[in-house]
Amino acid sequence: MSVVFKPDETFRGEFTYSNSVAAIRRFPLPFAEDNYMYSVNIEPHAPGPKGSVTEFAFDVDEHYVAECKERALVLAAEPLRYQALPHMMSSQWDCLELVMESLSHDYPQLFSLERRSNAWHWINRPLGLDQRFTFGDVASLPCEPLDYATRQAQGDFVVMDQRDGDLWAEAGMVTTQADWSMDFDLGMTFREWHGPVPLAHEMQVFDRALKFLLNLRLGAPVRRLNWTMTVHPRLDTSPENYPKWGQDRARVTAKDAGDLVHLRVELQGLWRLPRSNAIVFGIRCYLISVRELATVPKWARRVHRVLKGLHPALVDYKGLTRYRDAVVEWLAPFDDGAPTTPGAGPE
Amino acid sequence: MLITGIKSKPIYAPLRFDEGGRYHLMLGLGVGREPLRRVLDEVRDQQALAVARTEVLYVPAAGDTGKATDQFALPGLAAVCLFGNSNALLEDFRARLGRSLMGTRLYVAGPESFIGMAMKVALDFNLNKDEIRAEECGTLARRVRCIHCRAITEDVKTNIAQCIGCGLWLLVRDHYSRRLAAYMGVMADAEAPGELPEIREVFL
Amino acid sequence: MSGGQTIEVVVKAIEQVTPLIKHFQLASPRGEALPAFSGGSHVIVVMRGEARVHRNPYSLLSAPQNLDSYEIAVRRMDESRGGSHFMHDRLRVGSQLEIAHPVNLFGLDKIARKHLMIAGGIGITPFLAQLEDLHGGLVPYELHYSVRSAEHAAFLARLQAREQEHVHIYYDSENQVIDFEGLLSKQPLGTHVYVCGPAGFIGRVLDAARGCGWSPSHVHWEQFSAPPTGDVFQVQLARSMKKIVVPQDSTLLEAIEAAGVDVPYLCRGGVCGFCQSKVIECDGELLHYDHFLSDAEKAGGKTIMPCVSRARANHLVLDL
Ligand code: FES
Repeated sequence: MSVVFKPDETFRGEFTYSNSVAAIRRFPLPFAEDNYMYSVNIEPHAPGPKGSVTEFAFDVDEHYVAECKERALVLAAEPLRYQALPHMMSSQWDCLELVMESLSHDYPQLFSLERRSNAWHWINRPLGLDQRFTFGDVASLPCEPLDYATRQAQGDFVVMDQRDGDLWAEAGMVTTQADWSMDFDLGMTFREWHGPVPLAHEMQVFDRALKFLLNLRLGAPVRRLNWTMTVHPRLDTSPENYPKWGQDRARVTAKDAGDLVHLRVELQGLWRLPRSNAIVFGIRCYLISVRELATVPKWARRVHRVLKGLHPALVDYKGLTRYRDAVVEWLAPFDDGAPTTPGAGPE
Repeated sequence: MLITGIKSKPIYAPLRFDEGGRYHLMLGLGVGREPLRRVLDEVRDQQALAVARTEVLYVPAAGDTGKATDQFALPGLAAVCLFGNSNALLEDFRARLGRSLMGTRLYVAGPESFIGMAMKVALDFNLNKDEIRAEECGTLARRVRCIHCRAITEDVKTNIAQCIGCGLWLLVRDHYSRRLAAYMGVMADAEAPGELPEIREVFL
Repeated sequence: MSGGQTIEVVVKAIEQVTPLIKHFQLASPRGEALPAFSGGSHVIVVMRGEARVHRNPYSLLSAPQNLDSYEIAVRRMDESRGGSHFMHDRLRVGSQLEIAHPVNLFGLDKIARKHLMIAGGIGITPFLAQLEDLHGGLVPYELHYSVRSAEHAAFLARLQAREQEHVHIYYDSENQVIDFEGLLSKQPLGTHVYVCGPAGFIGRVLDAARGCGWSPSHVHWEQFSAPPTGDVFQVQLARSMKKIVVPQDSTLLEAIEAAGVDVPYLCRGGVCGFCQSKVIECDGELLHYDHFLSDAEKAGGKTIMPCVSRARANHLVLDL
C-alpha cells in the first residue's frame, strides 16, 4: 500500500481530520468480543498481515505528515511536553536508532538512513528533512536525539529506565495523549504512573505486566491495544489543555454523536533498548469517528454492545460519563441484534 | 471526575527502627515527635552503638518551647538539632546527606507535605525505598501542583482549591509525584464552566 | 520462544589468557555488525556437541561501542558438564556457533552516585564492558579485582592501560585480600556495589554489605556457576505427555529441551525466574538450587526452576 498523505488535515480548530475508506478498513478495533474488560493482552509485536497497522514496527499512514505538524504545534506552545532526565541520554540514542532503522527499512521510498560508523545521514522525504549527524554527539543534532526522532514519528514515546526491580518513566515525548501528563508523571515507577487506572490494580494487571516487562528481551518487542473515546479528532487531550477540550464532552447529543465522538485506540508497543537496557513504550493513537466506524456493520453492532455494557468505573475513568449514552443511542439503529463474528476484523 | 482508588498516593506505615541500618537519621515536624520518640525507645533497646549513630533533626510546633534534650530524652545521641522551620531543617538535612555513608537509614515523621519534601532531597542522593521509612501524622493538607500553570499551592485542605498561580479552581486528584512532592490539580469546571462541585474540607 | 531467536557467529580469534582462561572473539560470518548491548550483558552460547547440546551463559567483555565482534572469556571448570570443555577443546578459529541476543541482568544503576565493582577471578568479565560505559563519565567508580596470582590475572594489561587509577588488584599468592568491611563501611551515600566471582566470594561481599548496613537495592551480584549435577531422575511432562530421564550431568532444563519441549529462559543460572515451572506432583524431594524462589516457595514444593534445580523422587510431574 503506497501512502497518500493528507498534509492539511487538522486535529484542532476546524478538525478536518478524516479517514479514507482504506484507513477505515485497517482500523485496529480493540474489541474481539461484544464486551470489554481489562486483561494482560500482551502479544509479540510480530509483523502482522500486509497493509495492516502491525505490518511494521512503526506504522506510517495517511495521517503521518499532519500528525507531525500537529506535534510541532503542541511543542511550540508547550516545550515541556518533551522531557528527559539526564541519565536517559544513552536510551535517547537507542530510540533514535530504533525509529530511524525501522522507518528506513520498512518504508525505503519515504526514509533513508546511511551509517558509516558514527557518521549518520538521515533523509525524511515526507517532511523534507536531510540531516547528517554524529551518532552519540548531541551537538550534531538540532535538538536532543529522542526529541529529534519522535518529532518525525506518529504517536507518543515514553522511555523507562530499569532499576531496583521496577521501571521508571524518565523520558518522553507526549503530545497525543489520553489525559495524562509526562511533565507530571516524569520519574514515576510503573505502578505510580498507572495509578489512575481503575480496577486494573485489583486485577493485578500491572503487577503481572511489570514482571513480564522486566524480562523483555532485545529483539522481541511486544504490543497491546488500549482504547478510550474523544470528542472531535483531537490528538492532544492532555490534562494541561483540559480547559480547552473539557467543554466538548458536555456538548455531545444523540444527534451529533456519530460525527463528534471518536473512538481512540492506542497501539502500544514495547521494545527493550540495547545500549541503555531501558524500555521504550510507544503509544500510537488511531482516531475514527463513530460514523466512520458504523460504515462497517459488524463494528457498529460490536461497539454499540461494548459501550452499553461497559463497567461504570471504566466509563468514569475513560471520561465517557457525559456522552456514553448519546453514543449508544446514536448507534442503536445499527444494531439489529444479529450475532457478530468472532475477532475484531471488519468481516 | 473525582477518580478514586488511585494507586500513586503513597502509603505510609508506623515507623519502626530498622536494625539492618548502621546510621539512623530521623526527621520530624510538629506532632511527628511522637513517632520519633517511639523509634528512639526502640533504639534505646539496641546497643549503645546504635544510639551513638542516631541523629535527630526536628522542627517543633509553634508555641512548643521545650528544650532539645527534653524533646528527645535519650542520652548519647549523635545529634539532636532543632530548627525554626522545615526549610532550615531540609537545608541541614541535604548537607548531612552529602557527608553520610552507605548504611544510613532515613526516618521521617510529620505531615505528608513535609515527608514529600524530605523524600525529594533523599532522591537526589539515590536513597531507595528500602532506606526510607515515613509515618504520616498531623495535617493531611496537600501540596497541589497545577497541571495548567505548574504553580504549587501549599496547604490545600479542600477537594477543590483555587490555584495560587492562574486562579483556576482545581480538583485535587489522588495522583502523587515524588519528584514534585505534590498532587495533581486539574481544572474542576472544565466540562461545564462555573459548575463546581461542592467544596468540602477533606484533607484535615 | 525459549531463548528467542539466535544469532549465528564464527570464532574469529582465540587466545589463552591465563592457564585456565581462554578468550574468544565472535563475529558475524557475513561481517555484519552484531546487536548493540549494555555493559553487564551476557549471551547464551549454544554448543552443539555430538551427544548433546550445551547452552552456557557468558558475560560480554568487549566494549559495547564495538559491534564488529563480541568477546567472551571461558574458564575451564574442573568438573565441567562439558560446556567449558567444549569451548576450550573443540573450538577453533572459524568454528560456527549460535548465540542468543544479549540479556542484561547485571546492569549498572543509572542514578548511582558511585559504582563500586568487586571481581573475583573470571568474575572480571562483565566489569570489563561496564568500565567502557563508565570511562570518561562523571560518576566516580572503582574496581577491586582479586586473583590467584599475576599469572592468573586475565586482562591485566588492558585494565592497567586504561583504568589505572580506578583499579586495585589483589593477589592471593602475595596474601593480598580485599578488606570487604573496610571497603564497604566508607562508601558515600548513593553508592552501588556490584560483585561477580565464585559463590563463596560473592557470599562474603553480601555478608559484609549487610554487616555495614547496606540496603539490598544497592547490592548487585551475578554468578554463572555450572549448574549442579546429581542423581538420575525421571520426570513426566503433563501437557506434552512425555516421560523423560534426566541424566546425572545434564540439567532438568536441558533434558526437557532434548525431548523437544521449549521452556522460556533468560539466564540459565537460577536467577531470572523466567524458566519457573509448576510442579503438579512430586512424591519425593525437590532440590532447589536457584536464587529466585523464596524459602517459603521452595518449601512449598509447587514450583521449580529447571535450569538449575533437580529432584530426588520416583514420581515427578511438571505442568509443561
Ligand atoms: S532461566 Fe533464569 S532462572 Fe532459570
